[in-house]
Amino acid sequence: MPIPVKPDQSTITTCAYCGVGCGFKAETSGGQIVRMTPWKEGKANHGHSCVKGRFAFDYYRHPDRVRSPMIRVSIEDPWREVSWDEAFAHAAGELKRIQETYGSGSVGAVSSSRCTNEEIYLMQKFARVGLRNNNIDNCSRICHSPTQFGLSATLGAGAASQHFDSILRSDVILVVGANPTEGHPVFGSMMKRSVRRGANLLVIDPRRTETVDSPHCRASVHLALRPGTNVLVLDSIAHVVVTERLYDEAFVRARCDWDDFELWMSQVGDVRYSPDVVGPEAGLEPDAIRELARRYAAGPNSTIYYGLGVTEHSQGSTGVMCLGNLAMACGMIGREGVGVNPLRGQGNVQGGSCLGSWPHMFTGYRFVTDAATRAVFENEWKIDLDGEPGLRLPNMFDAAVAGSFKGLYIQGEDPVQSDPNRHHVEAALRNMECVIVQDLYETETTKFAHVLLPGSSSLEKNGTFTNAERRVSMVRKIVEPVAGLEDWEITVGMINAMGYELKYDHPSEVLDEIARTSPAYSGMSFELIERVGSVQWPCNTAAPEGTEVLHTVTFPRGKGSFMLTEYVPTKERVDDRFPLLLTTGRILSQYNAGTQTRRTANNAWYDDDVLDISADDAAQRGLRNGDRVRVASRYGETELSITVSGRVHPGVVYTTFHFAHTMVNAVTSDLNDWATNCPEYKVTAVEVTKVTKVTKVTKVTEVTS
Amino acid sequence: MTVIDPARLVEMANQIGDFFAPYPEQRRIEGVRNHLRNYWDPRMRSDLLAYVANGNEGELASHVLAATRLLQTEADERSAYAGPPRVEH
Repeated sequence: MPIPVKPDQSTITTCAYCGVGCGFKAETSGGQIVRMTPWKEGKANHGHSCVKGRFAFDYYRHPDRVRSPMIRVSIEDPWREVSWDEAFAHAAGELKRIQETYGSGSVGAVSSSRCTNEEIYLMQKFARVGLRNNNIDNCSRICHSPTQFGLSATLGAGAASQHFDSILRSDVILVVGANPTEGHPVFGSMMKRSVRRGANLLVIDPRRTETVDSPHCRASVHLALRPGTNVLVLDSIAHVVVTERLYDEAFVRARCDWDDFELWMSQVGDVRYSPDVVGPEAGLEPDAIRELARRYAAGPNSTIYYGLGVTEHSQGSTGVMCLGNLAMACGMIGREGVGVNPLRGQGNVQGGSCLGSWPHMFTGYRFVTDAATRAVFENEWKIDLDGEPGLRLPNMFDAAVAGSFKGLYIQGEDPVQSDPNRHHVEAALRNMECVIVQDLYETETTKFAHVLLPGSSSLEKNGTFTNAERRVSMVRKIVEPVAGLEDWEITVGMINAMGYELKYDHPSEVLDEIARTSPAYSGMSFELIERVGSVQWPCNTAAPEGTEVLHTVTFPRGKGSFMLTEYVPTKERVDDRFPLLLTTGRILSQYNAGTQTRRTANNAWYDDDVLDISADDAAQRGLRNGDRVRVASRYGETELSITVSGRVHPGVVYTTFHFAHTMVNAVTSDLNDWATNCPEYKVTAVEVTKVTKVTKVTKVTEVTS
Repeated sequence: MTVIDPARLVEMANQIGDFFAPYPEQRRIEGVRNHLRNYWDPRMRSDLLAYVANGNEGELASHVLAATRLLQTEADERSAYAGPPRVEH
């Protein structure tokens, strides 16, 4: 192949790394991808890219790819390669056998935010028409499910209120529990551009991240709160807004429920939330809380962006409600430059939330208990549907441990590596009689699988993604799927094998079905997206080419709802045995569980998870930069190397979760959000001790407290 | 056999109760009731009810216990919403 390689074909598609959803030109030569060039017309990225989207594409042709369907009777057996038809028949036969033995509700499915809208929709259809139950969940259960709950409760829509470009009209940018310069770098660059133009940057984060202080990015106020005190601090900010009368009374009277606003004021206005009381508990200067509240309320256009630092707590949904309340109280919602915006982790987490892959909801966040909504789908699918909520993924694992749940179809997820309490997940999977995994590679989870279906990457299929600003963009097939089928075709094969006859010739027909059944997508089609480039929902007769800003005139339920957000401290506490708080996150060059990026040259930037620890805590333990340490919690332990870092305060340690062998989820707590069961990844009490004899392979052992 | 460990159900129900605790009494109880109705698998609800009826009432906060009783007396389908208590005007 000549160097430089001259591409012979270029196809526009959407990056699957992170919720920014950058448009790319995928350039090929001789049927191989040789270059990913950021697309100048991409409305999410405007020609920009990061090191993941730009360079980390070789994973699709890695030798580790699963290239044939495989089955085995026991997880101790070797895999046996079979045809697609045999794999479908075997998997469906097992699921039906289990249902006959243990009942209809003994099996379920989970969809992936790495898959397209059409594939996620088909997974929930698989559960509802194939399994005939609502045991369907999606991976946003463990990241942004509190967003859907908390924003729905307050604003009425579980999605970002703004488009990304809106930040260029912001005077004040409040970032809470997110580090967009690393986690969402292309949006982070736009944020920096806004800061360079004079926007005032406020950050709430336990760590001194690159968003707090790096070139072109300096926060005027940084609240480095103690992990686990989000709701306490956000209520204290609300306390300042209420007691100093910084709220926008005209907005609240016109747009929100005034009785609930008064109830909310009486709660957050209580002295227990005054900065003088909250500051010492959260590790903050009271005046810094006041300053942040005043700057946010002053605007004139203040906007909020937040991430998993808000959601992955035992009060994750409450934390999201705090942000919705704050924006409504200060009138910072419903126009350019303001709003409340979740920064989504995976490429299609918003789609994962929208497309009905929930045990309690159909597409468009409509409850399965609602007969009118059920009738829409019963009419479309010509089948009676279950009107009761199903099990959430964590409850499926709980039920498997209890012996009542026996079969699971997992699309593109690796819960053994990424879900909370690894030992519990492993025990659950071991208790199942049929685990079906559809993935690109063998993973930690496929060790417990009985059927392995070779998945297709986003470079190998057609469909759409919905990014964090509700933008639906085309995903186009650049190369052929290694095992011959796109993910949507695999799920259609599974649905047919379960006995429900189904046929689509192209994923555009699936989007047409979504449009027929889902009000926010009712105007959506491949033809429209091809014509205008990308479309933000709601897209309907009132907004035929989509909607940039939500809540401009009314909220979906009419009035905005102020929710009471009482602070309930997490049960996870430090003590003499576990005196440090571990919090987790990710870095620029690697992506989530690392399944894809670890198989690219991006490892040159970051080839292992490390533990950030403050100089004080390191000195107390006789640790030096690069030392190998044992990190132990009440739940388990692992080994990591340390970086002595000024980014974490004394008492706090931090690591990423990109590498399977570090098994960070063996250490993190099994507490979770009260409303959604989203795990509390951000707060685990640990102790760190020096390892004198370095083990080649990290050994994880369960610890009982 | 219960669908999941009753201790876990009690823990989850009380955690939901913690959120609704600051609301006025009726909304506090209805909030928990609606959350259990709209978000919990019916087997989880019935297992919780059975566990409570078996002499374990004391393990639930009083308003959570009241919500479970409301589940039994108002089992009919209700127009669902996002879980929080709602003001009826």
